[in-house]
Amino acid sequence: MVIVMEKHTAETNIERVMAELVTRGFDVHRSTGTEQTVLGVVGDVAKIDTREFELFDGVQEVVRISEPYKLSSRTFHREKTIVKVRGVEIGGTDVVIMAGPCTIESEQQVFEIAKRVARSGARVLRGGAYKPRTSPYAFQGMGVEGLKMLRAAADENRMATVSEVMEISQIEGMLPYVDILQVGARNMQNFNLLSALGQIRKPILLKRGMSATIQEWLLASEYIMNGGNYDVILCERGIRTFETYTRNTLDISAIPVIDKLSHLPIIADPSHATGRRDKVMPLARAIVAAGADGVLIEVHHDPDHALCDGPQSLYPDQFARLMDELRIIVPAVGRRL
Amino acid sequence: MERSDAEREIDRIRDAIDRVDEVIVRLLNQRAKYAIEIGEIKGVLGLPIYAPEREKDVLHHVEKTCEGPLDGQSMRRLFERIIDESRRVEREAATENK
Repeated sequence: MVIVMEKHTAETNIERVMAELVTRGFDVHRSTGTEQTVLGVVGDVAKIDTREFELFDGVQEVVRISEPYKLSSRTFHREKTIVKVRGVEIGGTDVVIMAGPCTIESEQQVFEIAKRVARSGARVLRGGAYKPRTSPYAFQGMGVEGLKMLRAAADENRMATVSEVMEISQIEGMLPYVDILQVGARNMQNFNLLSALGQIRKPILLKRGMSATIQEWLLASEYIMNGGNYDVILCERGIRTFETYTRNTLDISAIPVIDKLSHLPIIADPSHATGRRDKVMPLARAIVAAGADGVLIEVHHDPDHALCDGPQSLYPDQFARLMDELRIIVPAVGRRL
Repeated sequence: MERSDAEREIDRIRDAIDRVDEVIVRLLNQRAKYAIEIGEIKGVLGLPIYAPEREKDVLHHVEKTCEGPLDGQSMRRLFERIIDESRRVEREAATENK
């Protein structure tokens, strides 16, 4: 961390800042210029709230040089993390496609969709059993009964499963059926839930909050990793912008940014980002081209009658066509599908 | 001067610089030992590590003693780093002797 003092500030102002830093156990590298003095702060500066020092008289600016996140940072862990689940490697050479319905509605529905997406090359079956709906009157999900169907359908097609966990009390009941627990965008900063997920030993798929900065997102992942669960997959799903035509704006740039800042696998969800079926395919192509480790896509065999998010679900035939397109793009960016 | 003579001359001067560096390093360590002694005393008595008045005096002293070719300001900048490191060893010594 660097503290830049104002030009020609009084020596006593500099001394007060230095005294505070030294008292707190930090080492200071003082550099006196002809007009301006700069203080380099050495030590565990992650603990410092920069605002405390911005309020000192004579301080012009406090600049963090190192990131406040540690466990998820490339600086602390150069090698990319590969999350392994049921023979699927997320973060390795393969681009992993996760597909399935937004929500589990019936045995027939989930088996039908699983068969279709597996045939097209999806390795992970998604499906929600607990749904965080904007309206409390909307369908809330099938719970554990739905998860059993998801597990059975995935097993029949040799797939792994991913499903959203909404609160701590659901975790234990999900463990027998779900391989990857998903934290939704609305729960990205539910720190109690994140800490609880740090205590289990199953991969966590952490979606980006719709108004979360990349730093806030990585700090959220720290809560999980801090508990000892290092298998975290980050998922970009669109952020709130001034544009209203699409539901959210998919931040494609987050993919290469995360790849540089963090060793954690990064995937993206084009379905929730746009909320419109016709926009999902081009975005999925862009996600893969940008270097993502995977794509999370909603597919429904009868989207017109889906209980949740039908308009953003692909028909199985569309999904098959998309997979054919991705097979052309993926090798061009040095990956496998 | 022949090119080979010039190279030999540079080597000779660089050797001399290495000798000077050895003396500087020895003296800096001597200085650090004094700082550690002060740190131990400050630790026992609970005195503050950062002594701005003393730092000012040290800088003023070296600036005044400096005869060139380095000017007083250069000497001051060099000693700021020396003081930074002294403060660190003092703090460590004080913490151990609390």
